[in-house]
This record gives sequence, C-alpha cells and structure tokens, in this order.
Amino acid sequence: MNATSLLVFDGLLLCSIVGLAWASLASHDERRGVILFIAFGLLLAVAWGRLLAPDVALAEAAIGAGLSGALLLAAVRKQSPGSSRTHANPDRNRSESGAKVVLQWLVTLLCAALAGTLAWALLHALSSTPHDTLPRAISDNLVASGVSNPVTAVLLNFRAYDTLLELAVLLTAVLGIFALGQATAGYQPAGPVFDGLVRWLVPVLILTAGYLLWVGAHAPGGAFQAGATLAAAGVVLRLAGRSRIGLPDGFALRIVMAAGVGVFLLVGLTLLLLGRSFLDYPPAWASALILLIETAAMLSIAATLLLAFVGGQPQSAGVTAAANRQREEISR
Amino acid sequence: MTDAMIGLVALPLTGALATLLLPRSATAVAVGTGLATTVAAGLLLFGVATQGALHYEIGGWNAGLGIALRADGLSALLLMMTSLVVLAASVYASAYFSADSTRDRFWPLWLLLWTSLNALLLSGDLFNLYVTLELLGLSAVALAALGGKRAAVAAALRYLLVGLLGSMMFLAGVSLIYAGYGTLDLAMLRRVVEPGPIAWTALALMTTGLLLKTALFPLHFWLPPAHASAPAPVSAVLSALVVKAAFYLVLRLWLDVFANVVTPVAANLLGLLGASAVLWGSWRALQAERLKLLAAYSTVAQLGYLFLFFPLLLALPPGPTRDLAAGGLVMLALTHGFAKAGLFLAIGIIQQRCGHDTIRDLDGTAQHLPATTFAIALAGVALIGLPPSGAFLGKWQLLAGAVETGQWLWLLVTATGSLLATAYIFRVLGHAFGHRPYPNQPVTVAREEWPALLLAAMAALVLGLAGAPVWKLLEIGI
Amino acid sequence: MMTTQVLYGLTACVIVALGLRGALLHASLLQRVVAINVMGAGVFMLLIAVAYRGPGLPPDPLPHALVLTGIVVAVSATALALALARRLHAEQDND
Repeated sequence: MNATSLLVFDGLLLCSIVGLAWASLASHDERRGVILFIAFGLLLAVAWGRLLAPDVALAEAAIGAGLSGALLLAAVRKQSPGSSRTHANPDRNRSESGAKVVLQWLVTLLCAALAGTLAWALLHALSSTPHDTLPRAISDNLVASGVSNPVTAVLLNFRAYDTLLELAVLLTAVLGIFALGQATAGYQPAGPVFDGLVRWLVPVLILTAGYLLWVGAHAPGGAFQAGATLAAAGVVLRLAGRSRIGLPDGFALRIVMAAGVGVFLLVGLTLLLLGRSFLDYPPAWASALILLIETAAMLSIAATLLLAFVGGQPQSAGVTAAANRQREEISR
Repeated sequence: MTDAMIGLVALPLTGALATLLLPRSATAVAVGTGLATTVAAGLLLFGVATQGALHYEIGGWNAGLGIALRADGLSALLLMMTSLVVLAASVYASAYFSADSTRDRFWPLWLLLWTSLNALLLSGDLFNLYVTLELLGLSAVALAALGGKRAAVAAALRYLLVGLLGSMMFLAGVSLIYAGYGTLDLAMLRRVVEPGPIAWTALALMTTGLLLKTALFPLHFWLPPAHASAPAPVSAVLSALVVKAAFYLVLRLWLDVFANVVTPVAANLLGLLGASAVLWGSWRALQAERLKLLAAYSTVAQLGYLFLFFPLLLALPPGPTRDLAAGGLVMLALTHGFAKAGLFLAIGIIQQRCGHDTIRDLDGTAQHLPATTFAIALAGVALIGLPPSGAFLGKWQLLAGAVETGQWLWLLVTATGSLLATAYIFRVLGHAFGHRPYPNQPVTVAREEWPALLLAAMAALVLGLAGAPVWKLLEIGI
Repeated sequence: MMTTQVLYGLTACVIVALGLRGALLHASLLQRVVAINVMGAGVFMLLIAVAYRGPGLPPDPLPHALVLTGIVVAVSATALALALARRLHAEQDND
C-alpha cells in the first residue's frame, strides 16, 4: 500500500475507533454500551496490527475485547434478567438541575484541557530524535535471551519481574472474587446447534492455545494469548450449559491457580541458590526455562480468567448437574 | 545483603502461595513468613547503614534493559516500619478472625498486600512501580471488602474505582516519560530529566494519580468510609502503610527523580492542599461519632502534615537545615505509621468486646480493657505530637523550617491542627475513663492487645527517644 | 516526526479524555468500568504509537510488552470491580 492509501485507512480506522468509544460511553443502554465497547476493542486489535504489534493485537482481541466483554455482558445480565437497564444519559437528560449541567461542562472542559496538555507534551516527545538505546539493547541481547520473539524476550526474560508481579495481580483479583461469594448459576443446556458447534470448537481452541504457547518463542504469541484462548474454551463450555468446564476441583484447582507465580518463584529462587542473580537464566537453559514458566503461566492465566468469568469458586460438578436437572424439570 | 531485597519480595509472595495451598496451617505459615520477612528487612536496614545505598539488577541485565531494585536510607526505614506493623497486625489478626472461611481468604490476600508494599518500596523502575501500585490497590480492596458487609463492599468498590483512575493517570505519565526519554529506570531518569513540557505533564499526571491514592484533600473522599468499614487489622495497614506508600512515591518523584523539574509554585500548591487536609481532617475527626471514623479522618489530617513539608523543603537551600527538615518529615511519617496502626488495632479490640465503637457509649472501657485504653492513649500522644514521641520531633522540624523560611501559614496550620488533635484524642479518652473499680488483670487477650500496645509504644516512646539514627540513615540517598 | 505516530498519538489523547470524562460523569458502575477501560486503551495507543518506527522497520518491543501487561492488569481489575458490584446488588436485594 502506498502512503496515501495507508493514510486514508488510518483516518477511517481512527474515526471508527473514536466514534465507537464515544457511542459506547454516550449510550444510555448498558447492554448496548458494552457491545459497542467490544467492537471498540476489536477495532483496537486491528489498529495494533496496523502498527506492527501483532502480539498485542492477539492479546487485545482475546483478553481486552473478548474476555472483558464477556465479563461486562455477564454483569449486565446479572443486574436485570430479561430487559436491559437504561440509564439516564448525562448528555441527554434535560431535566437535570443547573448545577449538574455546570458540573458536566466543567468536567468536559477539564478533560479537554487534559487531552490538550497531553497532546502538547506528546508532540514535544515525538519531535525529538527517537531514543534507541533500549530497542538496540534488546536486539543485541536477543540471542542470549533464549527466544527470538523480542516481545516474549522482554516479558519473560529482561523484564520477567514485571510479569511475575502481573501474575500475582491476576491471582489477587481471583482471590478477591472468591472472597465475595460463590460462582454464579450456570447457563441452560444448549440446543443441538450450539452443542454441535461446541463439540468441535473447544478442541480447536485448545489446540490453538497450545500452538500459541509453542510459537510464542519465535513468532507472535505466548503465554497470555494462549491462556486467554484456553479460558475462551472454558467460557464456551459454560455458555453451552455444561457442568464440566475444564476446571479441576479442590486442591488441584489451587495448584493450578498458584502455578504461574509458583513456577516463576521456583525458577528464580533456584537460580539464586545456584549463585546467579534472581531470574538470571543461564543462556544455555534460557529457552527451556522460559517454556516451562510460560506453560505454568498459561494454565494459571486460563484458570484465573475462567474463574473470573464464572464469578467465584465453582460449585462441584454434581451440584451444577443437579441444578440443571431441576431447571429442566421446571421448564417442562 | 542485597539478597535481602529479593527476600523481601519473594518471602511474602511464597507465603501467600503456601497459605493458599495449605489453608489449615495458614496462620502458622503466615506468622512464620512474617518473622522471616521482618528479619530480611532488618538485614537490609543494617546493610544500607553499613554499605550505603544498595541496588540489585534482576536477571543480571543492566538497569534500563532489566528492572533494578534500589534501597537507600528512606526506603530501608519504611521497609522496616512496614515489616514491624504488618507483623504486629498479623499476630493480632490470628486472634481476630473467628469464621474459618474468612480466615482462609484473609491470609493469602494479606501476604500479597505485604508483597506489593515491599515491591513498591524497593522498585527502581517506573513501569514496575505501576504494576506494584495495581497489586497494592487490588489486594487492599479485596481485604477491605472481606466480611462482605454492605458498607464495606460499597466503600471498597469506590476505593477500587478511585484507585484505578489514579493508576491510569500514573500510567499515562509513565508512557509520556518513555516517549520523551526512552528509559524507565529511576536512576537514569534523574540524570536526564529536564524541565519542559514532557517532564511537567508527566509529573503532573503521575502526581495526580498518586494524590488520589494517598487521599490528599480534596481527593480524600473515599478514605474515611473504606478505612472505617474494613476489618480492624486491614484498617490498620490501610491507614498506616498503603496510603503512606503512595506518599513515598510522591516524595521520591518530587525530591529525587524530578528534583530539578519541580517549581516552588507547585510545592506551595501541595502545601496548601496539605494545610486544608490538616484542618478539614482534624475538624471532621472531632465531629466523628465512631472511633474508626475518627481514626480515618485523623489519617487524612496526618497525611496533610506530611505534605506541608514540601514547600519548606523546596524553599530551604541544600544544607544541614534542609536535611533536618527532611528527617523530620520521615520521622513524622514513621511515627504516624506505628501510631495509627496501634490505634486501629486497639479500636478493633474495643469493637469486638463492646460490640460497637461509638465514642459516646464508651464509658468505662478503661476499666475492663486497661491495656487497650493505654494503647489508645499512647497512640494519641503520638498523633498530637507530644514529647517524647517521634511526631514531636517531626513537628518541631516543621515549625523550625516554617520560621526559617518565613512561611508563617504552615506554623499556624500546624498549631491549629495539633490543638484539634488534642481535642479529639482527649474526647475519646474522656469517654473511656468511667468510675468503675480497677480489674485485676490488665491484659485480657494477649495476642490482640500486645501488638496494639507495642505499636503505640513504638510511636510514642521509641522513635522519639532513639530517633537520631533516622537522620543519619537518611543521608544515604540513592 | 512521523505522520502515523502523530495521528495515532493525538487520537490516543482524545480517547484518554473521553474515558476520563465517562469515568467522572457516569452514574452507573458498569459504564464507569467501561470508561476506565477506554481510558486504558487510550494510554495503550499512546505507547504503541511511540513504539512504531515506520512501515518496514521493526518497532520498539518494550512498549508492546508494557501494553500486554497493562491489558492483563486491566482485565483483573475489571473482574474484581464487577464481582464487588454483584455482591453489592445481592446485598441490596436482600434488604
């Protein structure tokens, strides 16, 4: 594509993105707002692809739009079974008191000022020569890092400590969710069409997850994208009303939840005991260690995201099956 | 000694996993982890005192490519305070939670909170600070909502949303810094940052985000309900440590990394907000009906004092007077940490024994909970700033600095704030002392009352009497 | 200064402002959470725009890694916020 057509594409894409963001936030129907947000997320993924960030594009599509969207939609469903809730749109409600209107305009002005200041600073930053010390250091050390995908190298080697803490963030969120209550009730068992779809979709998703994990070392992919795909398989099973969604029970579940952080710590501390620095992989072992950590992380991420969707500690399979049977009897 | 830095993060994190996997022995594991972490903090403090500022490059990569951990006098002192407060609160919590399910949920989240505090205090990388801030925020919110009461959940939700807003603004600032300077390492940034649109905007964004998290007036509205409704050990840590962590970051950014970017005007703005916090917080504390609400508003006020130091530190030329003032600031922060934690733990005991924490109905608690009331009194001494508490030393430096630079407003505000603090503390103590005969046993439940007593004593006595090393340690900068 | 970077960078600023406005003004919790996510997306776009080096050249991988971390952190926070809201609604229904 030549420069002009690329510019046209960029212009259209960005207008759509901003338009979707605006529409989503201006919508006075919660469900519609969430669906527009999901579309916004998917167009963002396109934008990331356009800006040569395929790893981020995959993650945005799977986690940012997909799982976030699923969580938000499930939340809308919880609040109002049947009809979707409408909320007074701050822009449209004309019976607002004068003070509120003034407040809204003040806030809008404040946000516009923020955008302006941010843009001013950003233009200053972009007009100076780009700082290349870090990208050059990354490419110089890429061979020693054990993988050839630079983003994976940064995530799992150079800045592995960030990833360790990020896995701890995931764990914290799910523990907080556990503390708030039991999982939500499941969905109704699916009809034959959806059930048939699920029958082949889930294995495909699992295979894709394994592929993404493996290929992340030398191409776009990695533990996060793979974990999100695996979680998606579980979400699909749940939406189809199945009682078994791939999560183990009891102690095994805790092991899976803790595995990501645990394996990371284990590797790091073992290296420390062997006289090296924390998370300082010996170059000969680096790719194997990274794959090990990524596998554990993938399982943890998948379990955590799925548990977040389910909304808490899942009831045992027997209880859910009984509940489904009860619902079937009532509907007859 | 540098391995102690990794230990400070790895030990509580491992403990969190262990308590998750072994819920039946969770309490023992947690307290054991707590002791180990405290030892690591002590080793680090010793290391910094003897060897100067320490740093550790994770993964062996040079800072810039990888993430560096850094410890100097300030962070080592705060880490020691964090360890002692969390350890004491852990001992308290082992007796506080009765229901099994709450206890099982509590320990992993508690240790994750500790991990995030340590990781934040040690971090030498801007994006890593963002991740630790998020970990801190999420674990604090999850703990605050523990127990599931409606007031707690509502307050925790508001806390979460405010915290997320703050984190997003912080991240926007970090992104701008990377765009402008190509590095995220704090030590490198200190060398290359210059005044200009990038630095100003980024610092403004990061500071606003952090001010939301440290509850500086007028962004404090979320704090009183959240701290007042949380379980007692959680409130103690929230008020003493979590808000202090965000304040530490403001301090680090303003006085260290962006030192040549900040202007006196901006510092005066922070000072004015701090003054408002002192007056508003103390006034609301005086009006509070419940002990926990009083303590929460007191936190708002005490944090205001810390911000009063900013215009002073910027107006004073570098030299011994400035160092004394900086030491005063840290001493005030440390004293408040211990005092507020002790206060909240003591209030928790009262709440459990008497079934309520309404101030007016407190008659006679001094008689059947003498150790607890004594802890409140000691904590009160430190909050007012009476000698020999560390707060006295801190406020003295504040007043001395105000006189030196001719900024009389801060003098007036400090005096008024201390008077109001005296009023609200004495109001509580007045209600606590009734006319019943003295019981035989001063301490009723050891595991709950000793931590409260020790923390309050630390604030009121130890820090004040043995405070000189604080100034010496602060000379060790990054 | 590349046109693409400027274009995406300025759009990022607009999205951040939109998100912030939504977070401050909306009454519904769900829309607040969506707004904060939109604000996050704006910051991510800022980072990725800064990382872009041109149509043929490899981009700077560091901001990509940062954005990946940010996406995961955002979804964790969203999940916790929604769980808290669900618990709150359950409490209110029981009254």
